[in-house]
Amino acid sequence: MRKLLLLVVAFTLALAAISQHPAQAQGSEPQYAGLDQDLKGVTIRMANIGGGQYEALYKSIPIFEQKTGAKVELVALLDGFAIDQKLKQDFATNAVDYDVAWDHTSFMAQYKDFLEDLNQYFTKDDLKVFSPAIIQSSTIDGKLLLIPRHADISALHYRTDLYGDAKIQAAYKAATGQDLKVPTNLDDVDKQARFFVKGGYSKYGYGMAGKEEALNGRFFEMLFASGGQYLTDKYEPAFNSDVGVKVATLLRGWYKDGIIAKDTPNLVWDGDAANFCNGSVALKLEWYGWYSYFQDPKSCASIAGKFGLARGFTGLSGAGQRPTGWAGAHAFSIPTAAKNKKAAAQLIKFLTSERVAYDEAKLGFLPVRDDVWTRIIADASASAVVLDKQRLELARTQVSEDFKTPPLIAEWIPISNIVYPTIQKVMLGDLEPKAGLDQAASDARKILADAGYYKK
Amino acid sequence: MATNASVNLPSSAAARRSRRPAPGAGRWFPLFLILPSFIFILIVIGFPLIYSLYVSFTPYELLKPKSLNFELSTALNNYQTLLNDPVFWKALLNTVIFLTITVNLEYVLALALSQLLARVSFGQSILRTLLMIPMMFAPVLVGFQFRWFFNENLGLVNNILGVFGLTGHAWLVEEPYGLFSIILATIWMNLPVMTIILLAGTLSLPFELYEAADVDGASAWQKFRKITLPLLAPFTYIALTLRSLDVSRAFDIVRIMTGGGPGNRTELIWTYVARLSIDSTKFGLGSAMSWITVIMSLGFTVYLFRQLVKSRIVK
Repeated sequence: MRKLLLLVVAFTLALAAISQHPAQAQGSEPQYAGLDQDLKGVTIRMANIGGGQYEALYKSIPIFEQKTGAKVELVALLDGFAIDQKLKQDFATNAVDYDVAWDHTSFMAQYKDFLEDLNQYFTKDDLKVFSPAIIQSSTIDGKLLLIPRHADISALHYRTDLYGDAKIQAAYKAATGQDLKVPTNLDDVDKQARFFVKGGYSKYGYGMAGKEEALNGRFFEMLFASGGQYLTDKYEPAFNSDVGVKVATLLRGWYKDGIIAKDTPNLVWDGDAANFCNGSVALKLEWYGWYSYFQDPKSCASIAGKFGLARGFTGLSGAGQRPTGWAGAHAFSIPTAAKNKKAAAQLIKFLTSERVAYDEAKLGFLPVRDDVWTRIIADASASAVVLDKQRLELARTQVSEDFKTPPLIAEWIPISNIVYPTIQKVMLGDLEPKAGLDQAASDARKILADAGYYKK
Repeated sequence: MATNASVNLPSSAAARRSRRPAPGAGRWFPLFLILPSFIFILIVIGFPLIYSLYVSFTPYELLKPKSLNFELSTALNNYQTLLNDPVFWKALLNTVIFLTITVNLEYVLALALSQLLARVSFGQSILRTLLMIPMMFAPVLVGFQFRWFFNENLGLVNNILGVFGLTGHAWLVEEPYGLFSIILATIWMNLPVMTIILLAGTLSLPFELYEAADVDGASAWQKFRKITLPLLAPFTYIALTLRSLDVSRAFDIVRIMTGGGPGNRTELIWTYVARLSIDSTKFGLGSAMSWITVIMSLGFTVYLFRQLVKSRIVK
């Protein structure tokens, strides 16, 4: 009897220990947060990103309202660039009439003087559930400007029907003396992309967006992956270094030789994704958010089930190579002009809580919380599609190890507006790489000097 | 019997007499009636215009309130920066080319269409309604539509060309196709506007003149050249003025189709103003560029209105 009692107690303790472990997705339900305060009579106004899957998150708001007594008003739901323009204009004209604002690691530096330091509202315990790399990228001069919602990073997407084709493998071996394997550096990307086009195996060897911040971001990514710097530690433009010239020359060669689409300089994310979707492109870096679109045979019959994912490649040969990993995170901030800051912080805690983040991750967004990563990877293990789980494991590695934001300065977008037309002109042959980048660096320097980073 | 190709309009003196207030009526009463509208226009248009002129003389950046600071020594910096900016000149040149080709081509097509429509005796109202369809689309939607039409890989145009064994182009990238693609989209959307104005003008012309011309044995071309065109002059100048002002501020379609790129190849004044003012937050610089454009537009409008008045004077 005594032994039986000891066994029962031991078993119960073991069960209790397991249920305490945050990583045990199967045993416990994901939890909400931010519901522990009485906010009766408080109206929290929010201006946020909208469109498509972004709006699914807001369906959880009634739960927050019911539990806290607060009322939440969505005063604006706009696409990413429109919400940025709204925030800029509202901040400039003191027209902010909302408590929670959309934010993004690539844009937040512009707004830093208009946002609350969230360290006042979020403790270290609150923040430890988020990826440390992302929290670091959300902080400028010790001021935490945003709480991340979900992350963006790109994986190398490659066509398994090409890489797995025995004839193509043999042809590659004959042409180069090497086995055809998924490339791990930019030199191999170049070699293989050219091989696919020359052999007629793919219309385009590589795919990329070619305008606006998208192009500047991809240039920035290839630059740092090749050991180069965009700006030095003292904010001097450095993208016109030898490494920068090599990357620009590579892009020019790709355009001239038809390795990338001829209208690449007019493509942003949707047009670029459409080329991969219809089977025109052999490999490309692409954001994880497109995965379900690519895997859906109704939308992408040419490639559904016929592509794989790999970690971002390292750059051109030389010192300081590292994997690509241009990344960012959509997030929430509290403007300094907000009327209900504490209530706003509670709402943000709720919207970034484990349960809400998990629901959003199930739609395909990359989470920023370790506990949610564990859950969705466990969920994906049950999928018949092996890539569903591999994708998440790869993304988790990239987010934790390769995550790199652009320089966290307000002048990132104005500098981007100088650099991307220059890269376009280099690609089109209107400018020589060195001369073009030197001029862009000079113009960028003027912007930074005017902003007070150093003397002119 | 030959007729004078010009229409007998009331003389200027007679027109002025007809506009004088009746003896005994308060001279100030009409002014009093339009005063509320005048004040409203002053507040809504006048004040922002003057304010933006002030801003154009400052180094104002949208998210740096302290930069809204006028100093005489640096007042002209924005204008000097623009005059030395090759992108500004490129945008200006592109805008002039865009305006000239779009408005003139639209006029020729609209004139032809209006003459054809004027001669249709059956189903004219249905045809007019169908003609208006492109105008019902928002410019943003037209921009998206044509951007996909001209997509190099997936677009309708290259696919049709491929069917006939012809080589497609990167229409929105290669020069000069980029600008011409935008011109085509703009004309498609706005042709109905000019056509309707010219059609209204055509339908209002006195048919007795054409009867008289028929008696004199005038050919169709002679009637068109000597009667229709001169009498349509006032309508022509109104249409050209309206469309010129519209086209010169083109933004939506260009922003969606090319964003002014690639490499500033299709940059127009307003895409550059928007990028400077909002994306790059250089509001002072954007205001300076806007004012340069406003002054040029005013000059152009004054010229067109003078031509309009001249076209109404009896010979």
